[in-house]
Amino acid sequence: MDVQAPSKYVTLISSDGFEFVVLREAAMVSPIVKGMLDPKSQFAEAKHARCVFQEISSIVLDKIVEYFHYWYRYRNSEDVPDMDIPVEICLELLAAADYLGLDHVNLNSK
Amino acid sequence: MVSMVLPTVLPTAKIRVRTSRPLEISLGPRQIRDEADQRRQAVAAQLEDDNSATPGDSTVVEAESSRASRQRSRAVTAENGVSDKKKKEQAKTIAKIKESKAFKKRKRDAGVDSDDDDDIARAIFNERHAPLPGQMDNCEICTKRFTVTPYSVAGPNGGLLCAPCGRQIAKERQGMQPKKKAPRKQTGGIGSRRAHQSRILDGDTGTKSLATLCVQTLAKNVDLADSLGDLPPHLIDKIARIFSKRRLLRTETLPLFVQPNTEVLHIYDGAKISEQDLLGIFQVATKLRRFKARYMVQFKDEVMDYVLSRDIKLESFYLSGANLLSEEKWHEFLEAKGESLKALQVYYTDKHFGNDTVDVIAKNCPNMERLKIEHNQKLTDDGVKGIANISSLLHLGLHLQHSISPEAITPVLSSIGKQLETFSLTIVPKADDSVLQSLHDNCRSLVKLRITESEVMTDEGFAKLFTNWENPPLRILDLQKCRYVSAQQPRHNTHNVGLCDEGFKALMAHSGAKLRDLNVHACRNITREAFEEVFSKDALYPELRHLEISFCEEVTDFIVGSIFRSCPNIKEVNVFGCMKVKDVRVPRGVILVGVPNAQGMVTEGFD
Repeated sequence: MDVQAPSKYVTLISSDGFEFVVLREAAMVSPIVKGMLDPKSQFAEAKHARCVFQEISSIVLDKIVEYFHYWYRYRNSEDVPDMDIPVEICLELLAAADYLGLDHVNLNSK
Repeated sequence: MVSMVLPTVLPTAKIRVRTSRPLEISLGPRQIRDEADQRRQAVAAQLEDDNSATPGDSTVVEAESSRASRQRSRAVTAENGVSDKKKKEQAKTIAKIKESKAFKKRKRDAGVDSDDDDDIARAIFNERHAPLPGQMDNCEICTKRFTVTPYSVAGPNGGLLCAPCGRQIAKERQGMQPKKKAPRKQTGGIGSRRAHQSRILDGDTGTKSLATLCVQTLAKNVDLADSLGDLPPHLIDKIARIFSKRRLLRTETLPLFVQPNTEVLHIYDGAKISEQDLLGIFQVATKLRRFKARYMVQFKDEVMDYVLSRDIKLESFYLSGANLLSEEKWHEFLEAKGESLKALQVYYTDKHFGNDTVDVIAKNCPNMERLKIEHNQKLTDDGVKGIANISSLLHLGLHLQHSISPEAITPVLSSIGKQLETFSLTIVPKADDSVLQSLHDNCRSLVKLRITESEVMTDEGFAKLFTNWENPPLRILDLQKCRYVSAQQPRHNTHNVGLCDEGFKALMAHSGAKLRDLNVHACRNITREAFEEVFSKDALYPELRHLEISFCEEVTDFIVGSIFRSCPNIKEVNVFGCMKVKDVRVPRGVILVGVPNAQGMVTEGFD
């Protein structure tokens, strides 16, 4: 963590205005979010710990946030149950996952 | 004498309900039986009661009630007087109930104010007079008549419900209870341990990526998807790959991947694709540049004819298993469309792709960069020599049925070796040290090198190749099964045939810094000392990800541990048949496959 000790939580905002408060460490699984919120960077997002995603609806962002916590919870486990993905938003979620850089398997902290 | 009134109340009250329905006015045998039942029940209720009246009184009242009911059925006009009387009697009963122990208990349990007293009393009143199983009653909700069974459900006001209403109420009540957790599903009817091991072999321990989860969900519900929208190509490729796992690509699902603007089409399993589907692909996707199809048996002459008739310029053409496509059509295709072709990969063609075809390629494909011919039964030494004429070639891969002689390979290397980035010879038992020497002398840009199952290459040859080689370090190297083979004296490798100590040390010294994949499968003459020297405590191979050392007999626990130390980015190590590997702790994030015991790999901190 940074010396300025940024908040333990960050806020992610969907296109329709829903705000999700997420544990910072969990959100860091996404390299894109990580880049946006890097305390060393001068992005407005990093200063206020708020990210607005204009392309992601609240339903999809909700699932993404769920994934963040799913990953955070199982990051040190070997045998992990699969997370449920609702079929209806599968494709939207896939596009969003790609956008957020969540398509690489080696997310395990080594 | 309040109690005395009790039995009379119920039967007449019931009758009043009944008379309101014209159909049941007439006094049929069923009604008579019902009334008898009700009377019997009333008596039972009375006996239950603490302050029950004398039997004599009750019979008098009963007689009265039955007579009253009969009168009712004949003359409806008499209703008012009787119902007044009933109401009074009911009120008295309820007042009595309010004093009973049961009422007080229920009130205490409910913990309500005196306002609800009446409700509680009425509920008790109704419960006591619920009909017995076997008799008829009117449903409390829909007022239909039904036969009471022991399973009849009590309604919200204490009365009984008919079967359909009862089911509904039961469902509603159940819905309010928390749902039971579904037991954890096991994958494919196999044990969780087996599933876990399978996941390890697939390389995904721990959490899967969100994209992977989505793609898997999608594959499970292919039939629901109409279109993939505008997903980026690498995701579409990912989906296409997972579709091959269960042969999901059919006539119905093909349109997901074939659109008018499709430029890249990868069919990883085309076993269910028909000839018509193939024609459809080339009809719809006019901008197709890269086409890959595995197990595409239906790619026949007719399909090729159609491709030739279309204005499609393919840059990359990958065809596997199309053994019905004749050699003439191959030639026609190469002559007509060869100019744009940059990559040609042909697998399993039986006898339809031979020496002449190579010549046709050399003549008609000036831009050919990548040529792969595998599992081919026709190509011989002459054809291999012909490859030397394809001057633009950067990547070459051969896996032929006829074993190629070194005399055919060396001219190719001396001709185009300088620019070659990939050189792959799979199963070349005759290839000898002259090939290695030729590689050493000619190749300057090689990134990937494969020479497998050579039975005559020697350790000296390998050592020479990698010593002072002007080629930059390799990234991918596969020398599997380059070892000494002898039935008589398998342990006496006097001439150091195959990759042995010196060759192994030389290759790691040359390429270790950049090497990402190393396969020395079954190079069984590499000794323990050589391994220990290569993976010594000062050695560092920062790029090495995959290491295959199966059937290297001398590999021990210590060596595997040293590998983990020397290769900080290692992901997977294969140790099948390394019987001296017994009890090694694997760092987190690394996969050790093929440990020769039932337990499998043991990750640090998990035992």
